[in-house]
Amino acid sequence: MSLLSVAGVSKRFGGIVANRGISFDVAPGELVGIIGPNGAGKSTLFEIITGFYHPDEGEVRFDGERLTGLSPDAVCRRGVARTFQKLRPFLGLSVLDNVMVGALTRTRDVRHARERARELIGRVGLAEKAEAHARTLSTGQRKRLELARALATEPRLLLLDEVTGGVDQRTIPELVRLVRDLHAGGLTLLVIEHNMRVITAVAQRIVALHLGEVIADGTPDVVARDRRVIEAYLGQAYVP
Amino acid sequence: MRALAPAAVFFASAALAPLVVHDAFFLDGLVLILLWGTTAAAWNVAGGYAGQISLGHSAFFGLGAYGAAILGTRWELSPWLGLVAGAAVATAIGLVIGYLSNRLRGPYFVLATIAFSQVLLLGGSRWRAFTAGSEGIPVPFRPGFWTLGLVDKRLWVWILLAFAVLAYLVALYLERARRGYQLAAVREDEDAALSLGVPARRLKVVAICVSAALTAACGALWAQYVGFVDPFYVFSIDLSIRFALAAIVGGLGTALGPFLGAALVTTVETYLRAEFGGIGGRFIGTYLIVYGCALIVMVRWLPQGLVGWIGARWHRGAAARTTP
Repeated sequence: MSLLSVAGVSKRFGGIVANRGISFDVAPGELVGIIGPNGAGKSTLFEIITGFYHPDEGEVRFDGERLTGLSPDAVCRRGVARTFQKLRPFLGLSVLDNVMVGALTRTRDVRHARERARELIGRVGLAEKAEAHARTLSTGQRKRLELARALATEPRLLLLDEVTGGVDQRTIPELVRLVRDLHAGGLTLLVIEHNMRVITAVAQRIVALHLGEVIADGTPDVVARDRRVIEAYLGQAYVP
Repeated sequence: MRALAPAAVFFASAALAPLVVHDAFFLDGLVLILLWGTTAAAWNVAGGYAGQISLGHSAFFGLGAYGAAILGTRWELSPWLGLVAGAAVATAIGLVIGYLSNRLRGPYFVLATIAFSQVLLLGGSRWRAFTAGSEGIPVPFRPGFWTLGLVDKRLWVWILLAFAVLAYLVALYLERARRGYQLAAVREDEDAALSLGVPARRLKVVAICVSAALTAACGALWAQYVGFVDPFYVFSIDLSIRFALAAIVGGLGTALGPFLGAALVTTVETYLRAEFGGIGGRFIGTYLIVYGCALIVMVRWLPQGLVGWIGARWHRGAAARTTP
């Protein structure tokens, strides 16, 4: 039984086909990576799963229930959380208040939400920054803030859009460790990642997209050696 | 608790002042400060807390004013019923504007709200059979509390104080309750709020409706206090700007700010009108220039408003006192 099921999803923007008949499943507890060159349709797919876009064809199911057609907030309440590629912290609010917004989706008690938020802020390593304004955080810290905020909604599936993108080299191992810990804790993750070293190290399975279509789906080493994947990433000259 | 002290002092002084001072000019000023403070606080619910900047809130104010005036003159009903009716109609219109806020963002939403108030202005000034058209409606004075025919200005102070406190409590709720946190998230970034499970659209609509209903209530009270409803005043953009200005000067998205802003703006305006206006005055519009300049100064140098400015000095002062 799969937790997430994407079936025949297509999305067009005018003459551009961003997603074409995309289908794959994610089993409970799995960590699946999504790779593909720029414009492959990865982000569009995320927007469709989380309810920000509605697909022209196909549907998304989560734990047997149809997500397609639900609004983004309803998708989140069903147990699917996400981070954004272009980070979107609530800049005018403190780190604590940012995370509390997520926690308040699961509890009506403000005090309880505050405790829960503190716990998560500690977990992502931002404890000293709890009272600081989100505006004052560095990119790496903002990534962690978004992670804590998404986790506060108590998701069963977490979608991460570019965990390590735009972060300096030293911070990457910490973020990777965080993702691994979450996975080890039983969370199901779907991760978009450009850094091939990172994604092959953490993912159990990789789905590769190119020009809106799935071109490979399998274990990291199989996908990394796939002829079409290499062609898409590096061009024909590099195909052995 | 300490955070509430300034508000407690403000409202307590307003409540006690009529017992000490009997001067009609002063009491009139106090009534207006509380009235404009409440309208600014009402505006702040949508503009400050929900981030839905409206420059058409006079639409709601006018609906309240007309509600009380028409029900009173046509069917001799109590202005309190007019107040409720005006608030109900304003809430309904608030639903429409709230729906618009989900379609239009930023300047487009602002323009839509202005258009709305102008449509009502046209309706109010042209629909002679129902609204008496551009002549306006003189509100009859019928003595008594139920008919809001009150000569004693002290009673007006206390009635408006009750509404002011109500508006303040709404703001306080928005600062402390779950819905307040969620609304702040919507204001900061609607998509991010949605992704965290916040029902952003519904919250915005509710905030705009609450804001509309409170504004309409103020309109009804104002009509009864002043005794005349003029469509070109109650539906004017000037009035909408007045609500926004007091809130911005006082501090956007703060509970007490709109009242401080209204106190400052109303005092300065009264002074300027007395000084430069009057019969044969040569600078009748001076206060409008001051309005404009005040807005520029606040937005440019004190975007946090009076509350932010005083708060910062207070904290700095406290730090200086504790560190030897």
